[in-house]
Amino acid sequence: MRQEATGFSAAVAGSRRVPGRAGWLLLLPLVLWALAFVVAPAVIMLVYSFLERGTLAGVVWSFTLQNYAGVFDPVYLQIVIRSIIYAGITTAICLAAGYPVAYLIGRAEERWRNLLLMAVMVPFWTSFLIRTYAWVTILKSEGLLNSLLMQFQLISEPLQMLYTPGAVVIGLVYTFLPFMILPIYSSVEKLEGSLIEAALDLGAGPVRAFSRVIVPLTSPGIAAGVLLVFVPALGIYAVNDILGGGRVDMIGNIIENQFKGNARNWPFGAALGTTLLVGFSVIYWYVNRRQRALMV
Amino acid sequence: MKRNPSLTLALLGALASLVLAAPALADEELNLFAWSEYIPQSVLDGFTKETDIQVNYETYASNEEMLAKLLSGAASYDLIQPSEYTIEALVKEKQLLPLDHKKLSNLKNIGKEYWNQPHDPKLAYSVPYMQGTVGIVVNTAKIKEPVTGYGDVFQPKYKGRIVVLDDALEIVTWALVANGLGQNDVTKTNLEKIRPTLAKWLPLVKVYDSDSPKTALLNGDVDLGVVWSGEAAILINEQPGKFSYTLPKEGAHMFIDNLAIPKGAENVDAAHQFINYILRPDVSMQISKEFPYTNPNVEARKLLTPAERANPASYPPGNPKLSTFRDIGPMAADVDKLFTDMKAKSGK
Repeated sequence: MRQEATGFSAAVAGSRRVPGRAGWLLLLPLVLWALAFVVAPAVIMLVYSFLERGTLAGVVWSFTLQNYAGVFDPVYLQIVIRSIIYAGITTAICLAAGYPVAYLIGRAEERWRNLLLMAVMVPFWTSFLIRTYAWVTILKSEGLLNSLLMQFQLISEPLQMLYTPGAVVIGLVYTFLPFMILPIYSSVEKLEGSLIEAALDLGAGPVRAFSRVIVPLTSPGIAAGVLLVFVPALGIYAVNDILGGGRVDMIGNIIENQFKGNARNWPFGAALGTTLLVGFSVIYWYVNRRQRALMV
Repeated sequence: MKRNPSLTLALLGALASLVLAAPALADEELNLFAWSEYIPQSVLDGFTKETDIQVNYETYASNEEMLAKLLSGAASYDLIQPSEYTIEALVKEKQLLPLDHKKLSNLKNIGKEYWNQPHDPKLAYSVPYMQGTVGIVVNTAKIKEPVTGYGDVFQPKYKGRIVVLDDALEIVTWALVANGLGQNDVTKTNLEKIRPTLAKWLPLVKVYDSDSPKTALLNGDVDLGVVWSGEAAILINEQPGKFSYTLPKEGAHMFIDNLAIPKGAENVDAAHQFINYILRPDVSMQISKEFPYTNPNVEARKLLTPAERANPASYPPGNPKLSTFRDIGPMAADVDKLFTDMKAKSGK
């Protein structure tokens, strides 16, 4: 068995012991919780997606496939594609910006590491909505950034930064960056320095050492980070609503409209939700399979 | 253990006081389910002080959210605060209890014009709480030309300077009215007719905001918009002389938010007491002070200051063309689809 250098893969391929009776007893609360709050709602959502819309709200118990026809209607498909693009851009930027940070923290001295990790995690202690509204204060026409730039006479008129797709991307990257940094850090921390030294000794330049040795060894962390950013970013609806001025509707907003907006079309919302859930499961299964393949 | 007479006496005394106090403990409660930021805390506290009825105030941010929670049956509410088109739908589905007008002595304070509205002509199921309009706000410091209708608002020269409500039904009805169609004539043919209008209007919009459109106007990110009258009234109160409010000449939407008692209410008597309390002029005036919409209580209007009465957003002058929303039933899904489509095609 190959030396496991990273935590994620150890968890996946490491101890394949089956829990004994005591183990299952300890797991029971979590299993019940998962059944009640994850499985049951998903089943309800699945059932609702095949029903018809009620007159006032709610559902009428008659089977129909029109909700799924609606999901793949070009009107809504364009929103799905837009969500995928935004989530993809966010993931890419988070990866590009987060990997160096995670690497530096992972290779830093013991006494700095905890401090740096705290710095990454402290924003979580504030409400996520407040942090998003803080960006409104920074980016608006009379906001902090514009005032600063005008003060130093770098611009003569305020820049229109708020209520643009760019503002949405900034907000998304800001929200999800820690979710990329922490898993990669966890991988980097378990890197054995000796492997990198060996690569350099054997004549690999720093770039090749990075791409051929470090990146593959930290790939479980990268995979986890990508999943932790891409999947939630697909479902986001608050950040883009606030920072995009309601102009950048994503699939989360459409689903919200079906329940809390004018549409009052619960079955359609359920169909959208079920489709997303199936999509996520496929992505997760694929990433998981690739990780297992690397473990062979 | 030696029996302690004083202890026994004390225990008996405690038990007795509990039994005697029991009727007082069985105080009534009122489960109020209303819009967030629409009922001042002072009004609720005043009611509890006068009647000893505890008010449990839960909030929602849209009629549909209220319907979802009400119809799920998860909790029972005694009072809800729907808009007029929701009242119409609820009455059709027999989800409201008829009001006992004998318990509402202050109902006479409601203005005559509110007694014959299509959603509840005899106020059999609902009592108007606040009325408002949706109209045009202009930052007159930045825009000097007159802006009197939807056509004036949605001009290419105002591109990127407009805020509108994030409400599919609202925007669709503006387009209908601007094209000379009836505000409530929401049919598939009419929706297709207004598609080009929406294609022209939506790319000009900078911000969609139903929660607090005044924020974008105050921030200077936009210069004009079509928003709730209450938001405009607050702007005018906060920065007098800088903002103007006009009702669109093509025709404007008037909404009436009402108090009503849902079918499963447990504290029907307390609900009637609360409604009658709200109908008192001194109480209704407190609501107007904090939320300067149009007060349907004519006696309460007499208690406002001249400045408040003169606020054009709260009390629009003249005789404008106003109409309420009717319940459009399943067309709501088509409206949402058209709006989603046009919004997506207009942005990036």
